[in-house]
Amino acid sequence: MKILKLALGPYMLAVVLAAFFWPKPARGFIGESSRIVFFHVPCAWTATIAFVVAAVASIVHLKRRDDGSDEAAAAAIRQGFLFSVLATVSGSIFAEVMWGSYWNWDPRETSILMLLFLYAAYLFLRGAISDPERRGVFCAVYAIFAAFIMPFLVFVVPRALASLHPQTIINPQGRILMDVPTRSVFFGSLAGFTALFFWLWSLDRRLERMKRRRRALE
Amino acid sequence: MQKSSFLSAAIAVFSREARQELRRRTTVASVLFFALAALTLIAFSITTLAIAPADRSRLDSGMLWILLFFSAASGLPRSFVREEETGTALALRKVAAGETVLFGKLLFNYLLFLAICLAAVPALCLLQDWTIQRPAAFALALALAGYGVTMVSTFLSAIVSRAGQKDLLFVLTALPLLMPLLLPAVEATARAAAAAGDLSPYWKVLTAYDGLVTCGAFVLMGFVWEG
Repeated sequence: MKILKLALGPYMLAVVLAAFFWPKPARGFIGESSRIVFFHVPCAWTATIAFVVAAVASIVHLKRRDDGSDEAAAAAIRQGFLFSVLATVSGSIFAEVMWGSYWNWDPRETSILMLLFLYAAYLFLRGAISDPERRGVFCAVYAIFAAFIMPFLVFVVPRALASLHPQTIINPQGRILMDVPTRSVFFGSLAGFTALFFWLWSLDRRLERMKRRRRALE
Repeated sequence: MQKSSFLSAAIAVFSREARQELRRRTTVASVLFFALAALTLIAFSITTLAIAPADRSRLDSGMLWILLFFSAASGLPRSFVREEETGTALALRKVAAGETVLFGKLLFNYLLFLAICLAAVPALCLLQDWTIQRPAAFALALALAGYGVTMVSTFLSAIVSRAGQKDLLFVLTALPLLMPLLLPAVEATARAAAAAGDLSPYWKVLTAYDGLVTCGAFVLMGFVWEG
């Protein structure tokens, strides 16, 4: 994790610089607004990864019933929630530039908002159950149940209903509609954001582990 | 009740639920009362507003689903909560698997939801002077979305019945889980009522949601039941 931490800083700096200076702005977008794809989509992608990681950790928890997997699931959901907020805010800024309003009730806008509510409820549920063993099981069940609904929000709703959202990645043609520089920076950014999530997730888990040990000593 | 086949055990749970309800009649009566009282209040508060006919269907549809959700939230979570409160959950756990209990209670709750619809929809049509142009499509939208509402509510009821602040927690967790269903449901019933637009994407969305939550609930129920 130390190598990841040391490598992430310069790597993300390179991604940010490349995002602003290498590819030309895409056609059909106002000004430089298309560059948001290098930050907004990776945030949404990372949130999805985080929620999948939370579901996997929850499955592990239901099998092993150990504190580590419960903390891992909760930490992944907290990070996923953070990246969902960033995706929602960045998408909203893009919507204002492109469509003249911060919120348009577009299926994708609505879907990410639903995703936020879905996982905010997990955090409420965690706070409402005091017995750690029962909290672990029920929160794991909720996280897996939410993971059944998450693909519905990310893939089904935006495809089934008419949307204003640009379809450069998920589209009916099943092709990534980007030129080579845009594609390179985009995938570089996806990799960077994914690594950033795993680093933040490891920090969060360590923090939770330390809190648990301190509680045990008290 | 013996651990026999899935269906017969589920029907036994359903019959037990129905017998208890027929004896007490508290859940059905309170849910219907809540639905009609809330409906009267809503209809009274907007009766003087000048709403364009084109917006009418959307508004009535939105009101209907708000009403149905909160009416369901006032009654459906009781199914598992009552078992915990009366101490019968432990005995039920010994004789029946979680999935059969879920299915039995789901059947009962779905009938309860349809009963709420049977009371609320004609009352809303009457009070709001709302004409439904395509009744079959409207009923299908209610049936599909109602199934999703009932499935999620029954499953969540099993979780929150063993947590603190049950009622608050139920609404806090149910609303986000059901929003992906309720938003297309509002649109589908509005379109069916106004006979406007294509409904086929909404059938796909509602069916996909119902399928996903059914799989999720039945896969996970064992852990909730034993947990």
